[in-house]
Amino acid sequence: MKTVIDPRDERTQPARIVPGYPQTPLRNPREPLIRRPPTLSELSGPLEVARRVRVLGGDIAGQGEKQAIGQLIHLRVRVLDEDGAPVGGTVVEMWQANGAGRYIHPNDDDHAPPDPNFYGAARLVTDENGQFELRTVKPGAYPVPTRDGWWRPPHVHFSLFGKVWLSRLVTQMYFPGEPLNAQDRILNAVPDTVARERLVAQLVPPSAQPHNALVYEHRIVLRGRTATPEQS
Amino acid sequence: MIPTGEATIGPFFPPRYVDAGANDLTLFEGRKAKGEAIEIRGRVLQEDGAALENLVLEIWQTDAKGIYRHPADPRHAQADADFLGWGRTVTDAGGEYVFRTIRPGATEGRAPHINFMVMYSGLMRILKTTMYFTHEMDVVLSAVPVSRRELLIAKKQGPDGYRFDIRLRGENETPFFDD
Repeated sequence: MKTVIDPRDERTQPARIVPGYPQTPLRNPREPLIRRPPTLSELSGPLEVARRVRVLGGDIAGQGEKQAIGQLIHLRVRVLDEDGAPVGGTVVEMWQANGAGRYIHPNDDDHAPPDPNFYGAARLVTDENGQFELRTVKPGAYPVPTRDGWWRPPHVHFSLFGKVWLSRLVTQMYFPGEPLNAQDRILNAVPDTVARERLVAQLVPPSAQPHNALVYEHRIVLRGRTATPEQS
Repeated sequence: MIPTGEATIGPFFPPRYVDAGANDLTLFEGRKAKGEAIEIRGRVLQEDGAALENLVLEIWQTDAKGIYRHPADPRHAQADADFLGWGRTVTDAGGEYVFRTIRPGATEGRAPHINFMVMYSGLMRILKTTMYFTHEMDVVLSAVPVSRRELLIAKKQGPDGYRFDIRLRGENETPFFDD
C-alpha cells in the first residue's frame, strides 16, 4: 500500500525560530529548506523498530511501595493517519518530568527533587486500533533556565515512527486548563489556535473506572494518507 | 485530518532510548547483514561553531542490494532479513557521532544515499537531510542548488570510513529538506 505525503499547512506547525527561546536562532537553518520530490526512500521507513529497541511497560506510576508521588493519571492516546485510519503496531516513546517538575536526566539539575520511584519514560507499541494506554503521574511545571520567567506547563513528550520516514513525529502533549499554557513559548510557537488546541489532551469526565486515576484522552495524527488508485 | 504539530525533542530525551547497538546496522538480532560494512563519522555544529552534545540522529537506508525493508518497495520480499535499515545514535561531548552500517545499493532514479534526521533541543521540527557517497546525480541531489551539493557528499576517510559533518546553521550550512 502506497503512502502519499502532502505538504503541511505551515500555520499548524511551530515557527522554527521562537522569540525568547535562545537556542532556536543558533540551530535552525538560515538557508531556505529545499523542496524535493518524494521518492521511495522517503515514502518507506522502518516498521520494525520494536525489534531493535527495548519496549518498556505501560505503567510508570509504579505499584505498592514503589508508587511515584503525584496525581495518578491514565493516558489513552490514539494514533491516526491523515485519512483517520489507525496506525497500529508503531513504536511510541514518551517521557515526562515527575510530579515536582524534575526529569531524571543529567541536563536537569537543581530546582526540584527527583522521585526515587519515577523515571518518567515508557516505550510502547500501538494496538490494531492505533491506541496505547499509560498509567503515570501528572508531570509538574518547571522553570526553563532562561531565567526570564518562562515556565514550561505540565506536558508529556512523544516520539512516534508511523509507516514511512516522513511520518516520523516528535511532539508534546499538554493538559487542559493549565494557566501556563497561555504563555508557553513552545506551545504558542504554533500560529493556528485550533492546531494548538489539538495539542491539549481532554479530561474524560471521572467515572467508576479506573476509580483512582484521572483519565485523559489524546489524539495524534501522523503525516500520510493512503494513495488513491490513480496515485498508486 | 490535519497532522499534529511538531515540537522540539527538548534537552531531556531519556538516555535509555539510545539503546546499545542501535548505531550499528551491520548486526541485527545477532546476525550479520550482507554487504560492505562501512563506518560514518561526523560532527554536528551550531551557528557559533559550538559542538552539540546529546543531539539525536537517526538514519534510514536500503540494504546492500538497494532494497528497502518496507512493503512500498516492490522488491521488499527479497530484502536482506538481517538488515533493518534504521539506526539511532547521539553525539558525544565533542559533537561527534558514529554509525556502522552497510553501503546502500542504488535504487530506481536514486544514487546510493542515507537519509538522516536531526532532533535536538531548540529544533522545533525534525531536520531532514541526505548523505551521498559520490557526485552521481539523482532527483533529490538535483533539487539542491549546485553550489551546496558538495555539502551532502561524505568524505572518504580510511579504507571503510566516511565523514559527514552536519552544520545546522551558518557557514557551510548543511542543506536540509522541506517535505
